[in-house]
Formats: sequence, C-alpha cells, structure tokens
Amino acid sequence: MNPSERNQGGYQDVKNLLQQLQERARELNCLYRVEEALGDPRATIADICSEIIKAIPAGWQYPEVCVARIRIDDNSFSSPSFSESDWVQRADILSGDVKVGDICVYYTREMPERDEGPFLREESKLIQTIADRIGHRIMHHRLRAILDQTEDGAKASESEHKGEWQVVVQMLKQTDRKLYLSVSRKMLNHLCWSGIEEADQLMKTFTPDPHETDVDMMEDMNQPHQRRSIGYSSELCKSVFRIAFENLADRDILRLIQKWIQEDKLAFLVQVVNRNLSLSEVADAIRRYHYLAENEPEIESPNKRGIEVSLIRRFLSDQLPYINVAKQFIEVHDFFELIGNVVYSSESHGKLGGKSAGMYLASQILKHKAADNELLTEVKIPKTYYVTSDVLLQFMHFNNFDEVVEQKYKPISQVRFEYPHIVQTFKNGRFPAEIAKSLSVAMDDFGEQPLIVRSSSLLEDRVGAAFSGKYKSLFLANQGTKQQRLEALMDAIAEVYASTFGPDPIEYRTERGLLDFGEEMGILIQEVVGTRVGKYYLPSFAGVAFSRNEFRWSPRIKREDGLIRLVPGLGTRAVDRLSDDYPVLIAPGQPGLRASSTPDEVVRYSPANLDVINLETNSFDTIPLREFVREVGDQLPTIEYIVSLFKEDRIRSVSALTGVTDQNDELVVTFEGLISRTPFVSQIKAILDTLESTMGMPVDIEFAHDGRDFYLLQCRAQSYSKTSTPAPIPKGTPREQVVFTANKYISNGSIQNITHIVYVDPQKYSDLPDRASILAVGRAVSFLNKVLPKRKFILMGPGRWGSRGDIKLGVSVTYSDINNTAALIEIARKKGNYVPDLSFGTHFFQDLVEADIRYLPLYPDEKDIVFNDRFLAGSENLLPELAPDFAELKDTIRLIEVPKSASGRVLCIHMNADLEEAIGFLAYPSQESVSTPAQVESKPVLQEHFWRWRLYMVECIARQIDPHRFGVVNLYVLGSTKSATAGPSSDIDILVHFRGSDEQLDLLRNWLEGWSLCLAETNYSQTGYRTGGLLDVHIVTDEDIANNTSWAAKIGAITDAARPLTLGESNED
Amino acid sequence: MPFSSVYNLPPNDADSNQMSWLSAKTLRRGRPVTDSGFNPYEMAQAQFDSGAEVLGLDRGAREILRVPLREYQFSIPIRMDDGSVGVYRGFRVQHNDARGPCKGGIRFHPAETIDTVRALAMWMTWKCAVVDIPLGGGKGGVVCDPHNLSMREQEQICRGWVRQLAKNVGPVTDIPAPDVMTSSQHMLWMLDEFEHICGGHYPGFITGKPVGMGGSLGRTEATGYGVIFTLREALRELGIDPDKTTASVQGFGNVAQFAIELYQQIGGKVICVSCWDQADQQAYSFSNPEGIDLKALKGITNRFGDIDKAKAKELGCEILDGEAWLGQDADILIPAALENQITGENVERISKKVKIIAEGANGPTTPEADHAIQSRDIFVIPDFLANAGGVTCSYFEQVQSNANYYWEKDDVLSRLDLKMTAAFAAVSELSRKRKLYMRDAAYVIAVDRVAQACRDRGWV
Repeated sequence: MNPSERNQGGYQDVKNLLQQLQERARELNCLYRVEEALGDPRATIADICSEIIKAIPAGWQYPEVCVARIRIDDNSFSSPSFSESDWVQRADILSGDVKVGDICVYYTREMPERDEGPFLREESKLIQTIADRIGHRIMHHRLRAILDQTEDGAKASESEHKGEWQVVVQMLKQTDRKLYLSVSRKMLNHLCWSGIEEADQLMKTFTPDPHETDVDMMEDMNQPHQRRSIGYSSELCKSVFRIAFENLADRDILRLIQKWIQEDKLAFLVQVVNRNLSLSEVADAIRRYHYLAENEPEIESPNKRGIEVSLIRRFLSDQLPYINVAKQFIEVHDFFELIGNVVYSSESHGKLGGKSAGMYLASQILKHKAADNELLTEVKIPKTYYVTSDVLLQFMHFNNFDEVVEQKYKPISQVRFEYPHIVQTFKNGRFPAEIAKSLSVAMDDFGEQPLIVRSSSLLEDRVGAAFSGKYKSLFLANQGTKQQRLEALMDAIAEVYASTFGPDPIEYRTERGLLDFGEEMGILIQEVVGTRVGKYYLPSFAGVAFSRNEFRWSPRIKREDGLIRLVPGLGTRAVDRLSDDYPVLIAPGQPGLRASSTPDEVVRYSPANLDVINLETNSFDTIPLREFVREVGDQLPTIEYIVSLFKEDRIRSVSALTGVTDQNDELVVTFEGLISRTPFVSQIKAILDTLESTMGMPVDIEFAHDGRDFYLLQCRAQSYSKTSTPAPIPKGTPREQVVFTANKYISNGSIQNITHIVYVDPQKYSDLPDRASILAVGRAVSFLNKVLPKRKFILMGPGRWGSRGDIKLGVSVTYSDINNTAALIEIARKKGNYVPDLSFGTHFFQDLVEADIRYLPLYPDEKDIVFNDRFLAGSENLLPELAPDFAELKDTIRLIEVPKSASGRVLCIHMNADLEEAIGFLAYPSQESVSTPAQVESKPVLQEHFWRWRLYMVECIARQIDPHRFGVVNLYVLGSTKSATAGPSSDIDILVHFRGSDEQLDLLRNWLEGWSLCLAETNYSQTGYRTGGLLDVHIVTDEDIANNTSWAAKIGAITDAARPLTLGESNED
Repeated sequence: MPFSSVYNLPPNDADSNQMSWLSAKTLRRGRPVTDSGFNPYEMAQAQFDSGAEVLGLDRGAREILRVPLREYQFSIPIRMDDGSVGVYRGFRVQHNDARGPCKGGIRFHPAETIDTVRALAMWMTWKCAVVDIPLGGGKGGVVCDPHNLSMREQEQICRGWVRQLAKNVGPVTDIPAPDVMTSSQHMLWMLDEFEHICGGHYPGFITGKPVGMGGSLGRTEATGYGVIFTLREALRELGIDPDKTTASVQGFGNVAQFAIELYQQIGGKVICVSCWDQADQQAYSFSNPEGIDLKALKGITNRFGDIDKAKAKELGCEILDGEAWLGQDADILIPAALENQITGENVERISKKVKIIAEGANGPTTPEADHAIQSRDIFVIPDFLANAGGVTCSYFEQVQSNANYYWEKDDVLSRLDLKMTAAFAAVSELSRKRKLYMRDAAYVIAVDRVAQACRDRGWV
C-alpha cells in the first residue's frame, strides 16, 4: 500500500485494507498447499503437478473462473474444465538454467482490469514462486536419478576397472617406455602429495632430503653439487604402482593415468614450437593437436600456457609487452584457425609482421570482451590472408635476386635511380610453386572481392608504429578471370616486396641505425570492405580513431575523449593529412562538441572528394563527392547517415522521400545521422576504451563500414607524427632561459630551433587607441608571416587569434595571414578577476591540424607558471627596421630575433600532454632534436648538407650569370638557404635586383627556369622530394627598392636580411 | 571617429549589421576613445552626436535617441550534456520603437558585452529608418561560444532566452533574427518555444526562417538585387545609360552573383570579378574586357565562391592579382566581399574612369580611402543604403508571416524595387539639397525620420 492510499482515511480505507488482507491470506493458503504437494519425497512430478493445479485457483482473486495448466517436457497437466482464453498469466519453469516447461493461469472470462490485465501484481509473484519451486523439484529429481545411475554403474564397474589400469600400465611399459617412466614419476609425486608414508620413503631412497640439499647449497655455493644418480628403474616403477594400488581407488588411478597421457600429447607441441622447426611442421602439430583435443575435454595445464606463449612468439611477436597481453586472449585453438589463412612455404620460419600481429590481437581482445559489452559484438574483421615474412627472401632466392639485399649499402641517390628498375625486376620475378599454390587457394576464397595488399614489416613491430607507411599498400580491383586476378595479386606482392628496397625506407633505416636489420616483411592480403556502387567499389565510410585526442578544439574536450577522423569512401583520405580537403572530426567522448560549429564552417570543412576503387578501369581513383552522389549516390548504403542538406543557412538531415541524387547542390558530408541516430560513436568509444585498457597504452585503429557492419582494419599503439611525440620537459632550466611554461590543455609535440618570435603584447594591444591600429596589427602579422623564415617563427598574441568581429579580443587575421608559423600561441592574461576565453584556434582549427601548426594556450597569471616578460618585452625589437610601414606599432608588436637576443640560443618548445606540461626555453641550436625515450621517431630537424648544397648552387648561379646580358644589378640569397635551415624539400629563394628591358627579363627568367628544373631533378635524386622547380625567384626593381616594398625590404634588412652574392663577369666586357 | 565596419556577420543576413562610419568632416567630431581603448557604444553615440549636430536636433530628441529605450540582461541556466549546469548571460536591447516594433539579430559570441549590443541596436534603428520600413531597432545576444557547445546545448540556450523574454518580445513588440553564429535553426527553436509559451502560432515573432517554415522567397536575391536597384537609380540621376556601362566586382559570393545577374539584365557589362582561392590562400581577379559570362563562371565556382582558375582561363578570362579588380577601367566598382578592401594604400589604383562605387559589402571602404574617393568626386552608394535589400526582405518576411500569406518571388522582388528606389531617391535628394556626402546623407535622413516619429508620438 502506498502512502497516498494510506492517507485517504475513513471507511474506504478500512475496507481496502480488509480486502488486501484477504488477498494475502488466499495467497498464503495456496502456497501452503503447493509446498505440501512438493514436500512429499515419494511423489512423482506428475503427482505433484496434479496437486498444484488443484491448489492454484484458491490463490487467485477470482477462483471461480480460474483454471491452470502446467507443462513439463511433453507432459501437460491442467484443471478439469481447462480452456485457454485471452486473460492469462504465465511463468517459465527452469531446471538449472534450462527451460523445461511452463505454468499458465487463465481466467475463463473477462474480469475487471487490475495491475496486469485482470491480475494483481502479487499474483504474478505467486505464479513465479510456484514455477521456481517446481523447477527446483525437477532439478533435484533429475540429479538424484543421475547419481543413482552412476552409483549403480560404479558398483558394477568397480570390478571391471579393477586391473584395467594395470593393463594400461603394462601396455605403456611395453610400447612407450618413456611415457611409462614419466607416468610412474608423476604417480610417485602424487602419492607423496597425498601424504602416503610409504611413497615418501620410496622417494627418499633415490632423492636426497630436500632440507639437506638446502644446507648443501648454502655452504657450497661455489662448488658444483655432487651428482647423485637417480636410479629410476623398472623396480621402482613397480613399487610405485603397488603403493598406488594399495592406497588409491582403481577408478582414481585410471583417471590420473588418463590425464597424464593426455598431457603428454601436448608435449609434442611443446617440442615442435621450442625446437625452431619450420612453420609447416608447427602447423602440422597444431592441426594434430586440434583434432586430438577436439574429441576430449580440454584440460587446464601450465604446459598449455607455455605452448600458447611459444606460438605467439613464433607467429606474431617476440616483444614482451605484446606477449603479456596476447597470452590472455589467444589460445592454441585460435592458431588452428589462423594457420588456415597463412601463406608459407615448407621451409618458412617467418612471422606475420607487426601490422598483422596488432590487428590479430585486437580482434581477439574484442572477441573476448564482447561478452561484457554488447557494443563490441558487432565488430568484424575482414577476411585476411597472411604471407609470412621470410617468403620475401625465398622469393628473392628463387629468382636469383639475392644481391639486391646489398642495395641498402649503396649511396642514396643510386638507390633512388635504381629503384624503378628493381620494382620492374621484382614484378617480373616468379613465386615458388608452393607459394603460388597457396595464393591461388586464397584467391579462390576471396573470389572477385577487391583486395588490399599491405606490408607488415617486422621493423614495424620493433620500432613502433612510426615505421608504417614507409612501405607500400596497394589496392587491387581483383576483377577478371582467376588467372588474371592471381597474376595481379602476385604482381602487387612483388611490388610491395620491392618497396623494401625503396629509397625512403632505406634512408629512414640509415637514420635510425636499423640498416643491418634483416629485410623480412610479412604481407597482409585483405578483402576491401565495401559495396559495389555503379562502377565503383567503396565502403560507405571509413577512417581512423585515436584513443587520445591530441587536437582539442574546445577546452571541454579531454584527451581521453579520443578523436575520429571520418571520411566517406576508402579511409585513405582520413589516414593522411590533406591540404585541400578535410575529414570530419569527432571526439567520441563528446560527440556533441564539433570542430565545425556554424553552418558555414560545417560546409567549408567537409570532405569534398572520396577515394574509390574503379572496377571498370581496375584503378584506385579520387573523385569529387558531388559528382559521385549525382551519379550513383542513392545506391551507397547509409548515404542518408552520411550527408546532410545545406539549405538556407541551415544543415538538415536528408529526407527519405527526396533522396540524395536530385539535391546535389546542397549536399554536405556531416555524418550527422551516423553520429546522432546510430550507436556508431559509442561503438568506436567502446572499442578504443577496451583496447586501450587491455593493451595498457593509447591505441589508434583504422576502420571501415560497408553500411551493414563495422570492420576493424588495423590496431596499433597510438602513433605520433614526428612533431607530436610527447616531449620531455627539461627540469632545472635556469629561470632566465625559460620563456614560458604552461599546464593546461597541452597537446604533445616539440618544435625546435625557432629563430623568431612575433609577440603581440596583450596589455598594449588592448590599449590601442582605435580600430585602425588594431586592424594594422593584423596586417603587420600578415606581412611578417610572409617575410620570416617559414616554420621557424612563432606567433604569440592575446586572446583569440583570428577574431573577426570584436577584434579587441585577438588579432584579426585569416589563415593565410598565419600559415607559415610553426606555432600559434594564445595568451590569456587576467583582466581584473577574470581570465578571458581563448579560441583554441577555432577560426581555422582544421587548417591548423592539416598543416601541423601547433597550438598552445598560455595562462601567465596562474600559479606556478613562468612567463618571461623580461625577455619578451625587453629584447630588442626588430619590427621598425624589418617592417617600417608598421613601425608605429612597435610597442604592441615585438619581433624578436632569438639568437640575437639570447646570445646565440634559439627557442625550443616542448609539450607533453601526459604530464600536462609545456615549456618554451632557450637552448643552443641542435643539429638533432633532443633525444627522448619515445623518440626513436623524431627526425633530426636540420641536416647540414641540404642548405650547404643549396648555397653552393646559388653561388654557382651567381658566378655564371652575365649581368649585362640579363640586366642584373645584384643577386641575393635569402630564406632557408641563407638561414641554414633548408630541409630536403625547401625552395631556394633568390632575389634579383633587375634593371633592364622586358626582353632581358624574359631571357633571365628562362635562364633561371632552366637552372631551377635542373636543380629540382638533382634534389629529387638526393632526397626523393619532387618539386616543380627548386628556385623561387623574386625580381625587384629600382623602384621597389626605393619604396622598400616587401621583397626589396629584405635587402639590408635588420633581421633575416638577404645575403648578396658575387656576380660573374660580363661576357661583353 | 572613424569606425570601420567590424562586426563579423554573415554578409547576406538581413538583420545583422555592421556599423558604418561617418567620413564627412562635418560629422566627425566627438570623443569616442576612452583610456581603455574604444568602446563601440561610445563610438555609436559619438557618431550620433555629430549627426544630431548636423540636424540641429533638440535636447529631448538627442537624449532619447542617444540611449536605448529598454534593456534586458538576464541569466539562462541550462543542463549541459554531461549533466552539469551551465549559466549563460543573455541580453536584449530595444533601442527605439517609435517607428514600429524593434527588429534585430541575436548574436552568440563569447565576448558579447552590453555595450556592443547597445551600439548594434542603435545601428539597427537607423538601418530600418533609412529604407523607411516601419520598424525600430533592437539587438540581442548571449555570451557563449558555439564552438564549445553541442547543438542540444545551443537549443537549450535558445529556448532559455525566449523563456526569459517571452513577455517582452513578439510580433508586435520586438522581432529577433539570425546574426553572428546563429542560423535559421536557432530561429526555429526560438519560434517553437515562443509559440509554446503563447499558445498559438506567431510566425511573425522571428525572421530568417526557412521557406516553408514561415520564410520569405527572394531572400537570397534581396541584397544583391538591392545593390543594383540603387545603382540603377544612381545611373538615372547621373544621366548615364546602363547599356553603356561596365563594372568590376569584388567577390563572387551570393551578393555579388545576384548583383551581377541583375546588372547584366539592366544592360551593363561586368568586365572583372575577383574572388578568394582557398587552395592558394590568396585572392585573384578574373578579367575579360568582352564581359564575363555569369552562367559559365558560376558553373566553375564552388559553393564558397572560389572560381576554378584553369577553367576560367579556358573561358577567356585573364587571371590577375587579387586587387586588380580595383584598377579596372570600369564605370562602376561593386565591392561585394569583405570589409576594409579599399584602403588608403590602394585607393589610388582606382581608375579615372570610375564614376560610381556601390558598396555591396559591409564597410568595404576605410576612412582614409573614403576621404580620397570623396575628393575625387566619385559617387558613392554607401553600404548602409546599398545593401539594405536584406533588411527590407526581412521586413517583408515579417509582414507575410503576420498575414500568414506568402508572396511569390516576383512579388517580393518588385516590392523590394519600390522600397529601394524610394529610399535612394530620398537620400540622394537630401545629399543634393544639403550638399552632403551620400554616406552622411543616408545617416542623417535615418536619424531625422526616427526623431520625427518620436516627436509625432509626443515623446519629445
């Protein structure tokens, strides 16, 4: 009775109470009768059910119309006048967890409506109680029967078993003496453990007292122990079995012997995996074990764990952290399934490689964890075949390519020139017959499904995810006859093999000291997830997801919220940073907070192209999304979850009625439906969380979705790009050398060798008298962005960079005004008692991400934060000299040439999100970035020869230029070549002071163009960076110099000035 | 005080406005700069003061127009996605409703202040008055950054804003509209909340709604067409045959495209357009002395108004630098992109041939440039007047919504023509009579109309 009822008071109350008490009494009465029926130990189930049927009506509110039926297995018991009706209450009868029948109570005609139809809530409990009780009784009954049976059987077989084990022992003794001895030894141990005196005695006769041994050991540490012969003879065996016979039941002895024999079956597997036999022998052993164990109940034993670890080491990885996790999730039987998909030759000893190992482990983890989390049950893995790593060597050997291995010791330019030839050589190679055969089998399994052939290098496993991407991944449309498809597959594998000898990996390995590591590389042949849409094949959407978010666009997003980069079509566009297109960014922990917020931003930063496999041309294509949708968009599964309509300033979901093909102009990819109307985001979150917590480290995954299922394509430890590895935070840097520190909203990364700081003083900025001056600050920054050495300067300014409206909040710039900076730093200085909000780069967030420009917020007025005002405000300001047009802003904008103001030091910024700390400090320029544990990855930032070679070449140009012929007054070098910061892809900036006719100008341009192309070609051979031309020529005239316009300003500039070059002699003289 | 247009707004949005500034020496007085930098409200007041001076307004009128009639400041508590509570500060300023219900946008901005809202509300009053539509000026906002809010949370803020103000706004009192970082979606949430509270359908409560949900046809065309309606009138007054004119246009977005469309219909030839190139991160001009083919050019333009350079070359366009549009030998310049495009530095590039500048964008001319333009006797149709097509169409939306009867597009555009033509005539006449620069004439006429309404009502 609930309180409100209680409060009603009066006569009605009493009446209700009485009625309810009557109900309770009726129920109890019924239960008593049921218990009575169940209580009779001799009663059969049938008896009991009949009794209960009689008892039931009395327990219900309307006994006169109440009938009941109990069904157990095939038997049915019911009230005399039983008939079914619409008013029914039902409960299942369970024995153990198995449903064995049910019980139903019907009212034969309609009764007033109560809690559940005409029934009371209490009645529903009552019927459930009765069903439970019957269930227990049935279970009890059945157990009893089984026990009786076994007891009878045991009695009968005692005599049969008696001696049976002795026959087994005899057999063993005669057929497998080794096993016989081993069983006997185990029996002796067992007997001793069981506390049988005689066995103990027996043990002592041939083993010394353990205590004595201890003493021995202690005293004679440095002497070998005396060897005692263990005369484990047949005699001894006999005694053991005799003692066993006298002390143990025959049944037990037999059971023990059986167990030990079975354990012995595993032993062959132990030997196979530990003895470094070939993969085919291991595979045979696994198969043998599988079929043996299939028919027998599995036994837990430490041996098994050992075997699993050995197999993991053998097939997947020998890295301890990997094994530690893997052994919990991979069993011997899993290897049985795995070997079915492994391509190897008879003498193979190889592994599957890092990529395969990562993916396989992730899939196993998710499979196991699916029991606890429904979201993981739907995760699938595409059909995959693995080619073991040493097949590469066999392939090379088979084709006599062995000497190619020496390729890596050649000069890099030679490697580069010879590489195309090697690719062709490899592609013309043939695969050993057994490999070809295995691939053919795989091909039959794949059918005409498009495939991707990916490298799975052993190095990947060793040096971390960073190595991936250095080798090739190739898509195959996989169309045509089987022969054609098989050839295409082998062709692709050969090409991936050849990529091992490509200049990029070799260069990378040279830098990392990994050159001498063997070239083994596994191959992953994977079905491409997707559907055929018109002539294209593609997944509905795909992408990458990181368990840690390193690009937070809102202070509300935590690192743990993760990050998804999502694109329609193949995931290739999400994996790589694109300069002209944008993936959709989602933080799975905060799906509501989007990087693009206003409709304009959503449209601007939405994917415009998609990658597909063209099944007609057998090629991998990038096509404009709108064209695709116009052609065949409505056939792409879940297209309505992918695109939205942009109409009248609003983003709306696609209506099912109108479809997508005829609305083309307003379509925009938002994934809004996917995010808000499907469990996709929670699914990704669950996967990331599960993998991160199980593997004990941040992870990243690649995935694809074909509109029906979610597929996991790859999983590895979260990779960091070169600039976004967690950087160490140096301690004990002298205070005056710290420029700033930060401890909020930190991402990972480091920036080295910053030579210039553009510092917009927050206080001075807010004191600017008028809007014109404020706008001028933006223009000044834009100017500096163009003239300062690219990515060698940072911008530090108040509040919100990129403010458009209330530009007092931050410098009014667009992305093009800041796109050359290395970092964008926002300073939130306390104003009175509040700290202004920062923008987190929202105005051009995705541009920053794709260009890898780092963002850092500073809160100088918070506790324990260093903000070196003295350095920033006190260093010499070069603005008036470098940008005379903006000289009047010199109090607001400070341009600091760091080495000049810090006696040769440069600025380094280290950011570590794990510690939530960042520091900008002054240090001497490093040729290599500070090495860190996690930084196998970080590439030396500067390499001497890049700029030296460039400088040498411009000097050559200057010497060979004919001043009269070309009308050249002076030639200058500037930019990275001059500042010695040139990298492998840097342009050579030269400034020509020109005074001549238009014809001369044309002539000069042509002449320099020739140089430019030639230098680009040479640079390509040395570095692999293709550029259209290497020279970036800026022509200035006398007039420019007089006006000191942008490039002319570089001549004689106070910082980063152009350096004059010595010109050659004029031929006409 | 020079006061360039600065309030970052969606360019075609009718009710969003950017403050323009007064350039004529006669009007530039006052003391807008405080010690702590400028304050937009003080600047607006200073601007008003100098206008009032020209008009010789009496003290009462000055006092009532200098400050808003009513201001609301309130808190909006919402439940965030993570279950926590967020409290946001909301504003509504009703500057003046002597001529009709207040009208003005609602801004979501992290650094919104009451002074910004006041300044913009005052500006709305003048903006409605210059085109002579029977509406007053208002503005509202919420201090928040939509980048840090989910759509659900934004919806909560919209509904919370209306709950706080339902009694003080409405189709006959104060009509909000989209503005900085608010869109038609926000308007629909607000409308829905308002209608729930009031228990009826009041589509006239808010403008900027999508067509079919109480929006007006012709909204997309309105601003661009409006620019050309005033341009046509200017040509007529200057006695120039549109057929014999050429124009150079900055921008190729919505406003520019419709302006070009209508300009070509009245016989003009566009010889150059410029637009931003996202990939190159710089602007280019596309010139063709034979006249550009609008349809073909639109075919090679993406939805952001970026023209494909390679394809434009095929169409016979010469690709020039981003500022080249300004230096074209055209009769008319139509800056229809961003603010601060004609500056003291580039104003000299303007060809001797240029007779008219029609400001399609908000505040495209900086004070220094304006000074130079004025001294060269180029006829300027100020942004304030030239791009008032947007706010006029907003007014039409409200009229249609109140009547619950929606006009055909032609209807909307022909009525727009009438309004713009009349507005231009009045400003131009005043400019001639009182020898005022067009920019100042437009401002003064607006202030005068509002002051007159206050007097007519017996307020002052």
